[in-house]
Amino acid sequence: MSLDFSVVFQNQRLLINGALTTLQLCLLAGSLGTLLGFCVGIIRASRVPVLSPILQGYVVVVRGIPLLMLLFFVYFGLPYVGVRALDSASTVVLAFTLSTGAFVSEIVRAGIESVAREQREASDALGLSRWQSLRHVVLPQATTVALPPLIGFYIGLTKDTSLAFVVGYHEIMRESQYVVDRTAAVLPIYLTVALFYFAICFPLSRLVALLERRRPR
Amino acid sequence: MNLDWGVVARYGDDLLRGAGLTLVISLICAVLSFGLGVLTALARGSSNRLLQLASTTYVEVFRNTPALLQIFFVYFALPSLGLRLAALPAGILALTLNNAAYGAEIIRAGIASIPHAQTEAASALGLSRRHVFTRVVFPQAIRNVYPPLINQLTILVLGTSLLSVISVPELTGTALTINSLSLRTVEIFAAATLLYLGMTTLGTFAMRALALRIFPRIPVR
Repeated sequence: MSLDFSVVFQNQRLLINGALTTLQLCLLAGSLGTLLGFCVGIIRASRVPVLSPILQGYVVVVRGIPLLMLLFFVYFGLPYVGVRALDSASTVVLAFTLSTGAFVSEIVRAGIESVAREQREASDALGLSRWQSLRHVVLPQATTVALPPLIGFYIGLTKDTSLAFVVGYHEIMRESQYVVDRTAAVLPIYLTVALFYFAICFPLSRLVALLERRRPR
Repeated sequence: MNLDWGVVARYGDDLLRGAGLTLVISLICAVLSFGLGVLTALARGSSNRLLQLASTTYVEVFRNTPALLQIFFVYFALPSLGLRLAALPAGILALTLNNAAYGAEIIRAGIASIPHAQTEAASALGLSRRHVFTRVVFPQAIRNVYPPLINQLTILVLGTSLLSVISVPELTGTALTINSLSLRTVEIFAAATLLYLGMTTLGTFAMRALALRIFPRIPVR
C-alpha cells in the first residue's frame, strides 16, 4: 500500500483537464436539460392534448431505464438511425440533457401542481391571460417549491457524469484511469477524485438541507 | 434503416439470464443495505459521539461521491489494502454500501417522524427499550417512509447496470456483449429497456404486495 500523493501533482495537468471537462459537461447538460425539463414540465402540467401523453412516454422511458443504458443507446444508436454528424462529446451532452430533462420535468410538474388552484382562479378573475398567470403567479411559487429537489438532482447529475467515462469521454474518471494505468497509484488518485466530487456535492447537499429547513410549511 | 427483431429471439436466453442476474444482485443488495441502513440510522441517532461521527461520515462520503467511483474503489483499490474480491462480490459490496447510505437517511427520517409520545406511552406500558423500538417505533417508521423506500429499490435495480463496467454479466453487460457480436444496437437495447421497465414495475408491485402483508390494517400512503 502506498499513500504517496506526489503522483497526483506529477499528473495534475491530466487531472485538472478531466475536472474541467466534468464541470463543463455538468453545466452544459444541466442548463440545457433544465430548459428542456421546464418546457416538458409546463406542457405536462397544462395537460396539452396529444403532446402531454407523448412527453409522458419520454419521461417514463428515460426515468425507467438505467442512465448507462441511455448513454449507450444514444452513443451507439444515433449513427444507426442515420445521425452521423455528432461527435462523441455532443453525443454525451445530448444523452445527459435528455436524462436531465426527464427528471427536471417531474420536479417542475410537482412544483406547479403544488400551487393551490385558487391562485390560478384568482389570476383568472384579475383578467390575467393563461401565460401571464403562469409566468407571474404560478411559476415563481412553483420554483420555490422545486428548488431543493432541483439542487438535489444537480448533485446526482454531477456524480452521474462519471458514467461518460464508459464511452471514452475525457472527464475526470477517464483521465484518472489513465494515470492509474500508468502509475498504479490507485489509492492516491481515487481519493483525489473522490475529494473533487465531494467538494462539489457536499456543500450543495448542505444547501438543500438548509433550504428544506427554511421552507414555510 | 432496417430492423431485425429476430436477433432478440436469437439472444433471448442470454438477455433473460442477464436480467436474472440483475434481479439476484438487486435482491441481495436490497436485503443487505436495508440491514446496514437500519444500523446506520440507529448509530446516527445514538448518544454515543463516536458512533454518530462514524455513521455521519459514512453517509456523507457515500452520498456525495459517484457510485461508479465507489465500485472502482472496492474493485481496484481495496486489493492494495489487502482485500481482494472478484467482480461480482466487489460489485455487490460497493452497491450495498452506496445504497445503504441513502437508505439510512430515509429510515432516519422515518424514525424522526414518530412522535416522542409514542415512546413514552410504550415505556409507560412497561415495554423494554428494545421492545419500544422493535414493536412500536420501527414498524410505524418503516410504514411512514415506505414510498421513498420503494423508490430507492428502483434506483438500486437501475444502478446494478454500473456493474457492467467491471465485467459483471448482468443485463446491461449482456446487452453490450450481444451488441458487439450482432451490431443490432437498437433492437438489443430496446429489448433490454423493456426488461428493465418490467423489472422495476415488478419490484414496485412486489413491494406494494409486501406492504399489504406487513401492514394489513394501515394503508400505506
